[in-house]
Amino acid sequence: MPYPDSLKQLIKVVESTREERVARKLKNEEVPFLSLDERAEMLKHHPDVKEEGRREIKVGPSKGYRVAHEMADLLEASSRVDPTKIDVSRWDYETDVLVIGGGGAGTSAAILASQMGANVIIATKLRHGDANTMMAEGGIQAATKGHKDSPYYHYLDVMGGGHFKNVPELVETLVTQAPSAIKWLEGLGCNFSKFDDGTLKTIHGGGTSRKRMHFAADITGAEMMRTVRDEARNRADKIKVVEFSPAVELILNEHGHCAGAVLYNMETEEYTVVKAKAVVMATGGCGRLHIQGFMTTNHYGATADGIVMGYRAGVPVCFLHTVQYHPTGIVFPEQAEGILITEKFRGSGANLVNIDGQQFVNEREPRDVEAAAIIKECIASSKGVPTPTGKLGIWLDSPMIDMLSGEGTVEREFPGKFILYKRFGIDISKEPMLIYPTLHYQNGGLEFESTGKTSVPGLFLAGEVGGGIHGENRLMGNSLLDIMVFGRIAGRSAAEYVNAGVQDGTLTLDHVKKYNAEIEQEGAGDGRVAPMLLPDYTEPVTRERQLTSHYVGTIR
Amino acid sequence: MSSQVDQIKEEVEAKLIPIYVMGKQYMVPESLTIMKAIEYAGYKYIRGCGCRGGVCGACATVYRKPGEYKIRTGLACQTVVESEMYLTQLPFYPANRATYEFDNLEGVPEEIFQLYPELFRCVACNACSKVCPMDVEVMDYIAALKRGDIAEASRISFDCIQCGLCASRCMGELPQYHIAQLARRITGAYLTPSAEHLKTMVANIEAGRYTKGLDELKAADTENLRNLYTEREMEPATAGEDWSPQSDAYL
Amino acid sequence: MKLCYYPGCTLKTKARNLEDAALASLDALGIEYEELPRWNCCGAVYSLADDDLIHLIAPVRDLVRAKEQGADTLLTLCSMCYNTLARANDLMREDEEKRKTINDFMDEEIDYGGEVKVVHLLDFLRDDYGLDKLAEKITRPLKGLKVSPYYGCTLTRPREVALDRPDKPTVLQDFLKALGAEVVEFPSSIECCGTYQVLGNQESALRRSQAIISDATKHGADALALTCPLCDYNLGHKQKVILEQNDGMSELPVYYISQLLAVALGVSADVLRLDLNQERATELLKEKQLLAG
Repeated sequence: MPYPDSLKQLIKVVESTREERVARKLKNEEVPFLSLDERAEMLKHHPDVKEEGRREIKVGPSKGYRVAHEMADLLEASSRVDPTKIDVSRWDYETDVLVIGGGGAGTSAAILASQMGANVIIATKLRHGDANTMMAEGGIQAATKGHKDSPYYHYLDVMGGGHFKNVPELVETLVTQAPSAIKWLEGLGCNFSKFDDGTLKTIHGGGTSRKRMHFAADITGAEMMRTVRDEARNRADKIKVVEFSPAVELILNEHGHCAGAVLYNMETEEYTVVKAKAVVMATGGCGRLHIQGFMTTNHYGATADGIVMGYRAGVPVCFLHTVQYHPTGIVFPEQAEGILITEKFRGSGANLVNIDGQQFVNEREPRDVEAAAIIKECIASSKGVPTPTGKLGIWLDSPMIDMLSGEGTVEREFPGKFILYKRFGIDISKEPMLIYPTLHYQNGGLEFESTGKTSVPGLFLAGEVGGGIHGENRLMGNSLLDIMVFGRIAGRSAAEYVNAGVQDGTLTLDHVKKYNAEIEQEGAGDGRVAPMLLPDYTEPVTRERQLTSHYVGTIR
Repeated sequence: MSSQVDQIKEEVEAKLIPIYVMGKQYMVPESLTIMKAIEYAGYKYIRGCGCRGGVCGACATVYRKPGEYKIRTGLACQTVVESEMYLTQLPFYPANRATYEFDNLEGVPEEIFQLYPELFRCVACNACSKVCPMDVEVMDYIAALKRGDIAEASRISFDCIQCGLCASRCMGELPQYHIAQLARRITGAYLTPSAEHLKTMVANIEAGRYTKGLDELKAADTENLRNLYTEREMEPATAGEDWSPQSDAYL
Repeated sequence: MKLCYYPGCTLKTKARNLEDAALASLDALGIEYEELPRWNCCGAVYSLADDDLIHLIAPVRDLVRAKEQGADTLLTLCSMCYNTLARANDLMREDEEKRKTINDFMDEEIDYGGEVKVVHLLDFLRDDYGLDKLAEKITRPLKGLKVSPYYGCTLTRPREVALDRPDKPTVLQDFLKALGAEVVEFPSSIECCGTYQVLGNQESALRRSQAIISDATKHGADALALTCPLCDYNLGHKQKVILEQNDGMSELPVYYISQLLAVALGVSADVLRLDLNQERATELLKEKQLLAG
């Protein structure tokens, strides 16, 4: 919807200072960048450093580690279904490799495992391909241009972005396998943007020393996802896809090896058992937990299910103390809430301004600093702009771009966003955008090795569910890369593991029973169950009337 | 300030409008998307909801407005409700998909014709383009394929989110979006030159060209890494394709 | 006059030799045209059922595109496309009721009422450009090339869209003469090649084509000139089968009229796309010294 009159009144305030701000910009009189000390001070407003936003996990292999309440809530919850009620001595499906998750990582893993002869089942919560992969617009990093770039520089950039905390072996694998991942996709017919001679087009991303971000127009993730999904569908004889059937527990065998999972058919509300020789966990991230109440850029199903299941099976978690917030997500109009507004707007000169039409931060500070400044301005300084949905936002003054670079620049350089807003009756070359930081990426996750192995034999993982590659902060363009590199590796490792011969044994959910008992013993959980599977957006008043439903997670 | 918030909230919240979800009336705030209105009404999505950002194709919605013969469509997550709209979502629509061994294709139009002979059942009625929530000119890419122009079909269909609405309306019973997927893959793999620099890089990595440099980095302590990071040469934003760094020590 | 050119699907795949040679010739003659944007298949076969309006949507939509471009004339090369588009155009011009039904159905397009004129390369050269003027532009007359004109069905039938007298057309002969060729008339000139039977009764189609080829040869033709990709399929591509099945027949090269036009205009040989014709087609042109090498 267009801006209501009350917001239009506030836009007049922005307009009243715009000419002066444009004039300053033209004279290079910028708001000064913060010093390192000032940055540290500003970062105290970042959600990551808010100690009241997190707590120690009371149970499990990483007991005592401080993570966001929303994540701890899940890790301290009991299983969705009473493990004593599930008969794992009989199974409904049997396969070599069970892949949990049907996004880019899971699908790549399935293709690779099937190529090595394994029979694969992909169990996915929503449709095959409904995943954050599909939503990634920007691109995929890889050092492919040897005359100016190499894995060496890619490695340095990744480490710098992650505050030098990343796991070196994971980073090494990421950067050395990156070009072959791109080559694989190229061979599958993924349409990366290219010059006429076949040279891949590459651009910079935040924190890259070389232009190595490859892209497919502005829908890179969607183009990659639909390509690998199509390839998986061609292999229907080896890859069976079970949709709307998320895994809710891993199954181990008597030797402590991962040997399958319990699936939950969300439509018929039945639980089924899959026996597998190896399992690849590729469930993605956690944006839909709305950590600290933040909106998110993430997919409907991004609820950290894999972390819950893996953690219960004994895999520790790491780097979950940091979460990536993108500084500029749409906060109004409501229908676009959470959608990411690319950094390129700020790079092109659009100021961030408060309700008084005043700048409060240079618009080209690093992501975390920028996000912290916006939050501070809205909350601590009470200078946010109230939105019709009861939230607060900051103006991103896009009309400046046309004033700085000529009429029509916004429409030409940002066609996707221009059209998106136009649909709502807002012309962003004339009216500013209302933005607020938005939950973007789960930097951490389950611990794993560069082969995709975890501490539980037979359990492999790939993608956002794993932690360590990106340290405390992921660079743009490295998540699409992560899922392709480690998806392929996990698929290959799982098939190798199966092909080497697996020790069969009695299936068991004892680890779940033990976990439930531990929760009870610690007095944690408060009756909650996990994994969450889907977020709940029911209005409180409606919920009150839904007497037949009970809201522990999403069980009805 | 708080009065401002209240004023703005009031302005929006006051207006509830009737919509008909599969024929049944619900009163919902007029500012909501169809998706949020359905959730507001008390439904919980399992099907028909995906990225909530307009790119995944899970929430295709068909609706009509009173007194209008036209079928309207939109993505539930992107379309704002309108008073008196009659709507249903179409989370799935069956469409035949051909199976092929991609590596064994030659990338010629005849292969598409053989895999999807129904292509020629198109009568150019354009119902597909009319319902496309992404404004893809579906009929035009089918026309391009009929004349064997695979690359053009790929270009036209590039924004397709594979929601299936085109297939639901096709009187020729074509699975347009599957055909377009095949066309795009053929374009990417067979009709576009492959990247030579990519092949070279993969070969160099396999030959161990960068192992020594990476071993140094892995062995470096944080202080050292910090210095290397700070001192690394940055490719200028405006640099062209032929830009080279001053040092080629780790290239 | 603004001229839009409608290619047709086959010309973009199997019949590039019809299109490439024609477009090079138009350039050589200084005729300005632009390819119709967003064109789709013409429908190929004009539906004879009186109430089968849905199959008119495809050709009418192409005519709408031409009108959108501000074109007054739509030029075709394939005689099937010509036929379908011209008949749809007549209907839109003359049948008020059906015009309204079709326009109402295509509610996303501008209304169309037959404003654009549909022409074929042959009547365009005859009526708009002028065969005399064409003759003046010929730099390499097809001297000594004995060519039989083959019309097939759709250039001259039905009468409403016929380029010429359906029973005794001459436009193709006049065209070939303008190119300097020696025209060899033959009775089968307006017979059907059998293409409508090609899927249901392949043998019958082969028999029809065999009769046409034999007839032309008997009357002393070196070659056949035609303008329809379907005729070319039966008479040209399938000729090998016909020759295998019929002892004593000699091969008869088949050319598109555009290829002969291009040869006579002396345009570069690579646009002729003779690789899509019988091998004998190249040999004959070389024998007659109409082709370098």
